[in-house]
Amino acid sequence: MKQLRILFFSMALALVSMAANAQGQKGNTETVQIKTSAVCSMCKNTLEKAMAYEKGVKSSNLDVKSKVLTVVFDTRKTNTDNVLKAVTKAGYDANELPADARAYNRLDDCCKKEAGDH
Amino acid sequence: MSNISGNTRGFLLLLLAILSIQQTTAQQLQGKVVDKTNPAQPLIGANVVWLGTDKGTATDGSGNFTLQLADAATPQVVVTYIGYTADTVDVAGKNQVILSLSPASGLKEVVIEGQIERHSAITPTQTEIITRRDLEKSACCNLAESFETNASVEVSMTDAVSGAKQIQMLGLDGSYTLLTTDNVPALHGLATPYRLNYLSGTFIESIDIIKGMGSVLNGYESISGQVNVTLRDPAKAERLYFNLYGNSLARYDANLNLATGLGKKWSTLLMLHTNQLHNRTDRNDDGFMDLSLGSQYNVLNKWKYEHGAWVSEFGLNALRETKVGGQMAYKEDIPQAEQPYYGTESEVDRLSGFNKTSYTFPGKPYQSLGLITSATHHKFDSQYGLRTYNGEQNSANARLIFQSIIGDTRHTYKTGLSYTFEDYQESLTDSAYSRTEQVPGAFAEYIYNNAENLTVVAGARLDFHNLYGNVFTPRLNVKYDFTPNTIVRLAAGKGFRVANAIAENTSALVSSRRLTVQEELQPEEAWNVGGSFTHYFELAGRPGAFVTDFYHTDFLNQVVADMYSQPGQVLFYNLEGRSYSNSFQAELQYEVLKGLDAKAAYKYYDVKTSYQGELLQRPMIPEHRFFVNLGFATPFDKWRADLTTQYFGLMPLAPVTGNAEEPVQTSKRFATVNTQITRAFKGWDIYLGAENLLNYRQADPIMGANDPFGSNFDASMVWGPVTGRIIYAGLRFRIN
Repeated sequence: MKQLRILFFSMALALVSMAANAQGQKGNTETVQIKTSAVCSMCKNTLEKAMAYEKGVKSSNLDVKSKVLTVVFDTRKTNTDNVLKAVTKAGYDANELPADARAYNRLDDCCKKEAGDH
Repeated sequence: MSNISGNTRGFLLLLLAILSIQQTTAQQLQGKVVDKTNPAQPLIGANVVWLGTDKGTATDGSGNFTLQLADAATPQVVVTYIGYTADTVDVAGKNQVILSLSPASGLKEVVIEGQIERHSAITPTQTEIITRRDLEKSACCNLAESFETNASVEVSMTDAVSGAKQIQMLGLDGSYTLLTTDNVPALHGLATPYRLNYLSGTFIESIDIIKGMGSVLNGYESISGQVNVTLRDPAKAERLYFNLYGNSLARYDANLNLATGLGKKWSTLLMLHTNQLHNRTDRNDDGFMDLSLGSQYNVLNKWKYEHGAWVSEFGLNALRETKVGGQMAYKEDIPQAEQPYYGTESEVDRLSGFNKTSYTFPGKPYQSLGLITSATHHKFDSQYGLRTYNGEQNSANARLIFQSIIGDTRHTYKTGLSYTFEDYQESLTDSAYSRTEQVPGAFAEYIYNNAENLTVVAGARLDFHNLYGNVFTPRLNVKYDFTPNTIVRLAAGKGFRVANAIAENTSALVSSRRLTVQEELQPEEAWNVGGSFTHYFELAGRPGAFVTDFYHTDFLNQVVADMYSQPGQVLFYNLEGRSYSNSFQAELQYEVLKGLDAKAAYKYYDVKTSYQGELLQRPMIPEHRFFVNLGFATPFDKWRADLTTQYFGLMPLAPVTGNAEEPVQTSKRFATVNTQITRAFKGWDIYLGAENLLNYRQADPIMGANDPFGSNFDASMVWGPVTGRIIYAGLRFRIN
């Protein structure tokens, strides 16, 4: 029974910390627009998910048609270079930086450049 | 003059007519999709969709298509076709186009992490897919736990001492399910008792569960279905993956995967697994350990070679496992005969390897030649109280498969040859059993796919068994899409297998029962006929699916393990009379709220066998079962929580003290709840969970526990959890 209580307590704690995260801070933010090599809506999921796990990134949005990824980040925690690097690590070109070769290889066939926009 | 004016009028009329035709066709885009390397080859069933819309069509039997210009968002179309590189083509100002696609470099399977429909809309067989995201939802240390969040496959304990787990499908024992890894038959024969422990969850990329009859390509063995485990791909795996797990019974697991590319053509993946349990627990105070102690070391090394039209994969797997169970005071270093405490021990050494090589003909992505070979050595020594049971199995298997089309890609076929070698040696106390099987065979499968709504797979194989003569195995699968969202499937066919009576009934060894083989056992043969109905829907903008299926299995011959007829014995004999299974399942999946997925299923089983002329319900199978799974995930899976509840109805039992005159005893109704919560960070996850949260336990799972060498001892009638609640936690770390 004690173990059960601990489990519920940790679940409740988890929910509280989620709510706290959602509050966020204001100011010290910068927006950067990056031209990527994304080709489809699956790329959108992959890229936006990768950005969500980047330190200091507050939000991101990929416009599949123009391939432009808009990233809002906290300047105290990260910078444009880190964000660009994170995009290449996800397997996509970021402006003139080429995609990380292994990450690109790991992408699904439909997300590779040769697949063409779709 | 009038003549000329007449001509002019006629010309004008003609012009007008042409213009008006052009007017109607100008609202459409007509075209043809062909192979770039061979423009005379039309591509049938290729998809042509307006870019940025879902308005599209598939090409007809001659590769032609028509699109409405009004549906276009931009004057560009996206053309896709399996085996070809997709293309986006600008069609601005055109009404007639020829679109040519270049063949892709080798056919690659599409694996979309966490996004695959759980019930496939594409396969001709009724297929459920367990993705890696699903696998991470359960405690998932090995294959046994992988089915926890799935309704179609059940996992149960075989007995209350050894801790062996078995799967069931369609209400039939796991030995009727063909288990394959990367489509190579694996872990069959003598490996059956503990086979679910032999594949670590961290080796697995995904699992396909095929219900009912499947393809003849993998042999004649499957009767209730097939479970195919796709191992992780060396070319796509993380550079480093590490998983650590520990639970409240002091069991821990450690896993380490390392992957690297070697030049452009080669990649390799080394997967290491160990699990250890050395803490004796007896929560129900019956003097017996609730779970057997054990340690396992498991290494799997996979290599992949890709170059042009050639793809080849090699795998090597080595495993060593030791287990000790029985009474708390049992000492494993003292021989059983010299101590008063009952114990079970087993030691397994296993070595296996496989190779899959395929060659795709240049310019013909639909035509390929594949060779699949595998070899296995499996050896075990085990002891159940005063009984010893030892065995060794050596097997080798080779298959050559050629795949091509008849005319166009609507008609495809696969054909080939196979050869199987199996050598079995078993000894139980003082009786020895051995057999050597040599089975050459030939098979063919024809697939009709009209690229619109109908797929028919008709296959047959003929095998020449050195012990049991010719074996003919016909199979048929039909899939018809009433609409893209409403699909009906039918499956029918025959299966054949040689039973390993003792290995498949090790639970009987953990009792005072005497095992009596009454006659020479014949191979098992059964027909299986069934079908399913799948409907995908969208309600309030969120997706859902309704799936229902029914399968009937009818045995022509079966090795009956009869625990009903003679008290204190298990009789093995060939079926006389009937033996069948009817299984019905209905399942509903729906995303109730954004991020909250719900899955509910009901299952009904009617499984009966003739025991000495009397048709009785098979023991340990509940008639009614319910299953509910709730899964919650915040955006980008940063937090995930899962809850699974299962309800089990009454199961008939066949205890050792049973008497043919008395009414059949039954289990109790009960429910179990499992839950897990996962937090993901960049590159690592932590998870915390509980199995059997309600702490339900079967009272007295071991009959006659106070006198294990007496005549009333029986640990095989275990129908519920033995261990009670287990809390676990773990972490995963990866470098991409």
